Amino acid sequence: MTSLRAQSLEHEESVGDRPVMTLLDVEKHFPIKDGVLQKVVGHVKAVDGVSLEIRRGETLGLVGESGCGKTTLGRCISGITAPTGGGIYFRLSDADRAALEDILAVPGKERTPEQRKRMEQIDSRHLITALTGDAWRAYRRNCQVVFQDAFSSLNPRQLVKDIVGRPLRIHKEASGAELTERVVSLLESVGMGRQHLFRYPHQFSGGQRQRISIARALALDPEFIVLDEPTSALDVSVQAQILNLLHELQRDRGLTYLFISHDLGVVRLMSDRIAVMYLGQVVEQGTATELFERPRHPYTEALLAANPDLDADVDKEIEGLEGTVPDPANPPEGCRFHTRCPVATPICGWEVDDAVTWLSVETNLLDTMTAVERRSNFDATLAFADDGSAEAVGKAMTGGSMPSAMSPALENVSVDGGKVLLRFLPVEPVELEEVEPGHVTSCVLHTSRRREL
Amino acid sequence: MADIVQPRPVLPPASGALTVRLRRLGEVTVQTLRNPVTVIGLVIIVLMFAMALLAPALTTPNEPNPYQMPRDWTALNEPPGTPGHPLGTTAHGGDVLYGVIWGSRTSLWLSIIVVAATVTIGTIVGSLAGFIGGKIDEILMRVVDVFLAIPELIFALAIAAVLGPSFSNIILALAIVYWVKYARIIRGQIIHVKQNEYVDSARVIGDTKFRIYLKDVLPNSITPVMVQATMDMGAIVLVGATLSFIGLSEAGLAEWGVLVSEGQVGISTGRWWASTFPGLMIFLWALAFNLVGDGLRDVLDPRTESR
Amino acid sequence: MTSTAAAGISAEGATGALVASVQNLSIHFKTKAGMVHAVDDVSFDIRDGETLGLVGETGCGKSVTARSFMRLVASPPGVYAGGKIDFWSSEARAAGGGPVNLLTIADDEMLEIRGNRIAMIFQDPGKALNPALTIGNQLAEVFYQHRSDELLEPLGPNAPVIIRRAAKQESGKIERVLLKLPPLRSKAAKVREEVDDHVAAALAETQIPNPRKIMDRYPHELSGGMKQRVLIAQALACNPDLLIADEPTTALDVTIQAKILKLIGELQQRRRTSVLYISHDLSLVREISDRVAVMYAGRIAEIGRTDDVFRQPLHPYTRSLMAAVPSSRNKRGELAAIEGNVPELIDPEPSCRFHTRCPYAAGVCGEVDPRFLRHDFEHGVACHIYDEPAELGIRPDELPSYERKTR
Repeated sequence: MTSLRAQSLEHEESVGDRPVMTLLDVEKHFPIKDGVLQKVVGHVKAVDGVSLEIRRGETLGLVGESGCGKTTLGRCISGITAPTGGGIYFRLSDADRAALEDILAVPGKERTPEQRKRMEQIDSRHLITALTGDAWRAYRRNCQVVFQDAFSSLNPRQLVKDIVGRPLRIHKEASGAELTERVVSLLESVGMGRQHLFRYPHQFSGGQRQRISIARALALDPEFIVLDEPTSALDVSVQAQILNLLHELQRDRGLTYLFISHDLGVVRLMSDRIAVMYLGQVVEQGTATELFERPRHPYTEALLAANPDLDADVDKEIEGLEGTVPDPANPPEGCRFHTRCPVATPICGWEVDDAVTWLSVETNLLDTMTAVERRSNFDATLAFADDGSAEAVGKAMTGGSMPSAMSPALENVSVDGGKVLLRFLPVEPVELEEVEPGHVTSCVLHTSRRREL
Repeated sequence: MADIVQPRPVLPPASGALTVRLRRLGEVTVQTLRNPVTVIGLVIIVLMFAMALLAPALTTPNEPNPYQMPRDWTALNEPPGTPGHPLGTTAHGGDVLYGVIWGSRTSLWLSIIVVAATVTIGTIVGSLAGFIGGKIDEILMRVVDVFLAIPELIFALAIAAVLGPSFSNIILALAIVYWVKYARIIRGQIIHVKQNEYVDSARVIGDTKFRIYLKDVLPNSITPVMVQATMDMGAIVLVGATLSFIGLSEAGLAEWGVLVSEGQVGISTGRWWASTFPGLMIFLWALAFNLVGDGLRDVLDPRTESR
Repeated sequence: MTSTAAAGISAEGATGALVASVQNLSIHFKTKAGMVHAVDDVSFDIRDGETLGLVGETGCGKSVTARSFMRLVASPPGVYAGGKIDFWSSEARAAGGGPVNLLTIADDEMLEIRGNRIAMIFQDPGKALNPALTIGNQLAEVFYQHRSDELLEPLGPNAPVIIRRAAKQESGKIERVLLKLPPLRSKAAKVREEVDDHVAAALAETQIPNPRKIMDRYPHELSGGMKQRVLIAQALACNPDLLIADEPTTALDVTIQAKILKLIGELQQRRRTSVLYISHDLSLVREISDRVAVMYAGRIAEIGRTDDVFRQPLHPYTRSLMAAVPSSRNKRGELAAIEGNVPELIDPEPSCRFHTRCPYAAGVCGEVDPRFLRHDFEHGVACHIYDEPAELGIRPDELPSYERKTR
């Protein structure tokens, strides 16, 4: 079985310990169309600038709540959809990555022909959306997926034998009796057997269907498997069986996993390193132990605080988060989490939207607002039906009732007749920074930017 | 109630792919036959088919063209019960029974050809629109919208009138007009099925788009088309009869619609048999396919199918 | 050890009056393959002001049990096969009266209770709200249905009959036309205002920001967490004695879930509502319940105070289930998985339903239904180990000690 993998290595530059998947600034934006002519009026930024590395033999956990983009990212990595920005690279060596990052730092027009050529060379061998021929096949065989809903991930009209044997048939690896035997051995490796060959998916339980899914994923002896919430739809006792199986398979076959889940307990158990996602970006990343014992981002802390844990301390009560996830078509400035963060600071990216939200929730002074004229996300004019309302709003904003993190960020408020002009201090988007070896976070409370506070 | 553990079917040890598929087919058939109304429909259809197949044996085929009603000037307007003419004769001396029997042949031709054509065209158009999506979907759906803007019957009528009165033109006119609903049905199904993860799975395994369409998308989308096709077998004959009735078919054809049309002249003078018996056949044919279509739909409904 | 029905366990030495008592409830389902014993001889009590957690995996019968309280089990195929559910409304308790049996009372009596004395919230908030009604109109229904008298108060004791009927939503077509005419219109508007005030108050209690604005919105404009708050508001509108929550947070993110749970806890404390909380999530149930009942294959396996059950689980199933939950102390690949599958519950033989998967099972386990016994003060279990330890060759105190921190 290793011979297959050796074949696909022929096209690689150097054999050595290198990442399986490298993501550089990956973006996936979905256009929002409106109107009769279906004009594009905006984009849902499901994934908005993610850079990651998945190393051989490890399990990288990807955790976050609904709308964070983890499933979309999984689909991009496994090649189901193509990213709209950035690049996903398969088996990119560290040397090539360094070279690539240098080239990408230079704006496209200014790149030398040499740089362009080098980039093309790297892309043709590693960029998954540019691969062709044998290189593409190598990627395709070595990157497989197991989905959450085993019922919709198995064709209800196909027999188990055909489902599990299909990858072998497509890549012309076996046929006839040999194919059947290979399928049987795959089924056995996931705890099922020959008697299951000629059955339909609906004749199995959820746990068994998931095993069939796993057997299919293993058919081509892949190096890397994307597991998208593989046990979320299963009962606890069945989940335990599947998680044990996944571990066993990883150990026996040297597999690399991307484990996507919203369940912190499961992710902690199964992952070596974990990346936490919020609204399309990675906010913190580190080893499983580090992240859980010494989290360095308020969102990670919030997740941990909200998670009911069977082994938690007696007196620990679960805590939730205020508010809702912001609109991914219009993500907040600065740190995207600042609208809900219990420990937000003045430099976290306060903008006009935050002031408007605060006013509309805590007061009813916006009932007479007629228009909002934006010059930027930080700078706008609010128009009101009468001067009195504008004055009241102006007073409210300067009076001291504004949240203590927001008011220092307010650079200027002035009332002019029926209009209120407000201007916040513009802030750059936050960047991930390594605060400890192997532990990155984007929260200003922990990065070097805390000096600004 | 997801909470109740539904009993899983107890299976004998499965032996081979073919056996399993045959067994599945058997199960579907048995379940369809459980409905007495469906059985009635099936019986009627079987009898009609038999009648159509055995037409040359049941009657003396007319020369030179058996599909033309025989004319016997000696036996005009004979009432039913006349020796040699159990159902009577028409105003041209044609044997009504002959018309009924050979009419089943023409009806069979009509419905099979039209349904096959419309299903094929509709499936191709709907599949392209649903599976490929994007611009192609928009263009094709606009075409569909144009077709749908015109009432089907009027449209078919206009085409048949333009092409000239003949049976084959009726077939052509119907085929041109009636494919649209299939396109819509299958497009809707495909869009829905495409969202299932087994389609993504097939791509991740490395299968080609065409094979994914054939193995994953089409088989899971085709069921409503099958039900509709069954119903259409009946409905097309009705429409064809209407067009014939108006006079867009060939005069003297051994076709139920034509017979009804030619025979209705005699009703005011009490000669009911030339129209009524062929009319009854149209009714039975349409009814039978409707019943079977209904029964089929109940059985193939995804909710009941998965059990 | 005394042999008492589980109901007896909680009644003895209990604090708080009984609100509901399920006794030997059995609900079966007729299927092609036979009678499925979805719920079999289930007994438990719910006391005033407490939260009882009903926990179990798919197919254990917890949802069916919950729905029986409101007679929401479709019949056919559901078949009532025995037992009763006694319910004491607050009025009944105040008057010193007796309970009613929810399974046998007349339909109109049930209508009085549903939404009023007993309320229910479900798993998917999206599906529980009518997409064609605004939130305000949706919630108004509850008040019209059950609290029409309060709505008529501002009109004084002489409110015209036609308005009374409008408040109960019993107006006929002609009446509705008449209500649009000036003399009656203002009165009807007053009633409408009253309703809106009540609705806004109910929404405000669930910490929904800007309730008046939310009332004009449609369900699709709200997030999942907001919808669930609306449903909680609707459920608690009439101050019910019992709130049944069927996995209300499964569809929500964990940070929103935490907020909703706290909300339910607060509201419950404030109004002394009893809560029956159904979940498959052990850790969640531990957070919010005062007492917990573990169900397996249609039966109660174990019941007791949350602390006791989680610190010292008695039933092998409870122990296995807890061991299967991933924790920081598990090593990868060594989760204690329960081998086998839940048995088919079609016309089952007398036996312990867990015996095919139990590490301690012996002969008697496959032949005799285990009795429900009181092992400890308020802690009961249905397992042969505690009944006839000699047969199984293991005494209860010989079971490996179980470590999980608890309150």
